[in-house]
Amino acid sequence: MQDNPSDGELERELNERAGREAAEISAELQRRVLERLTPSLRPVKPIAAQRLLVLQFFGIFVLSAVGIVPIVGKAGFGLMTDAQIAWMCLVLAGGAALFSVILAGQMVPGRRRGIPVAVVCALSGLAVIAGIGLNFPWMSPGSFVSEGWPCAMLELTIAAPATLVFWLLARRGALFASATLGASLVGMAVFTALAPLQVQCMFLRAPHLLVWHGGTAAVLIGLGALIGSMRHRAVEW
Amino acid sequence: MSEGAIDDRELRDLMIRYQRADAAALEELFRRVSPSLLRYFSGSGVGRNDAEDLLQECWIRIHRSRHTYRSSELLMPWIYAIARHTRLDGYRRRRRLESREVLVESLPDHVSEAARQAPREEDDFASLVASLPEGQREVLVMLKVSGMSLEEVAEATASTVGAVKQKVHRAYTALRRALREDRENARQS
Repeated sequence: MQDNPSDGELERELNERAGREAAEISAELQRRVLERLTPSLRPVKPIAAQRLLVLQFFGIFVLSAVGIVPIVGKAGFGLMTDAQIAWMCLVLAGGAALFSVILAGQMVPGRRRGIPVAVVCALSGLAVIAGIGLNFPWMSPGSFVSEGWPCAMLELTIAAPATLVFWLLARRGALFASATLGASLVGMAVFTALAPLQVQCMFLRAPHLLVWHGGTAAVLIGLGALIGSMRHRAVEW
Repeated sequence: MSEGAIDDRELRDLMIRYQRADAAALEELFRRVSPSLLRYFSGSGVGRNDAEDLLQECWIRIHRSRHTYRSSELLMPWIYAIARHTRLDGYRRRRRLESREVLVESLPDHVSEAARQAPREEDDFASLVASLPEGQREVLVMLKVSGMSLEEVAEATASTVGAVKQKVHRAYTALRRALREDRENARQS
């Protein structure tokens, strides 16, 4: 930062002015703050390590997906080819893993975020589109809407309580509501819903899967980001 | 600037004791960290009273979220991430209040709290960096006023060292230009 004389001059100016900023803490201020904090001073258990948090979120995704399949049925599973099953497992597990990392990163203030949530959303979206577009037929569906909306409703029905579960797990650490937190919470919940939905759904055509499965997921994640952002603006500590 | 720099290892020990409900550790931590935090808040261009209010609010948040600190991590970036949220929320609150203010025909008799606060010096740090965009101003305040390292600023702002360096570089370019213009204006007048 001191490549030329003018940089040095600026550096001196900044340091001089920074040194003049008031820094004394009055006894009155110290007393006032400590009096507010001391009565509620109790031992606290530090939050779990980052890896454990990631495993915890991913574990919930796996357990929920496996637990919901017997309830919704697995009619579509038998209709998929091995390649389709492999692709969908890869895409769903990969997406859930990425969102687990993002969500765990939200739980400690001042922790450098590894991957931006927008990148995760874009990667997951591209993987879903590529996975579906390359592996499922593009035939035109007979009744696009009447076949599709029950899938969207089922996805919403699973994703809504799943969001609550992930929020309950994350809220101990995720203190600052934000668009990122909203998107990552709903992202986890959406992937938790997509796994049993994919196994249950019998309409294995690319337009149906892209619009009613992937499209609903994208809308829900966007909604999560919007709610997170609005909550951040509304929160008054 | 090493004046404001604080030994993070000692602070981490204090923080661990604070998590175990040691009141003496809380007091010592407050005493050591608060001057740097107060500089950070006042370096953002708010008056002394507002800066003290922000400091108080920041400590309440630190207290509520103390369980989210892990002893394996640096303490100052954790504290500054909370301070950053406190400052941004304070800024939004002020903006909201300002937007609700209405024009009156005559001034009220009582003097507002803001007006009671001591006026800032024209040659202070905040006025020098006032023209910079928020992100650049913030990293300069953290680096110069609070004495944090590039790595600590990167962690506190959930960013990367490269991004922080880039902001500093841009800020320096803008400040050099502003100082040059100031001098030229002074010479002409």
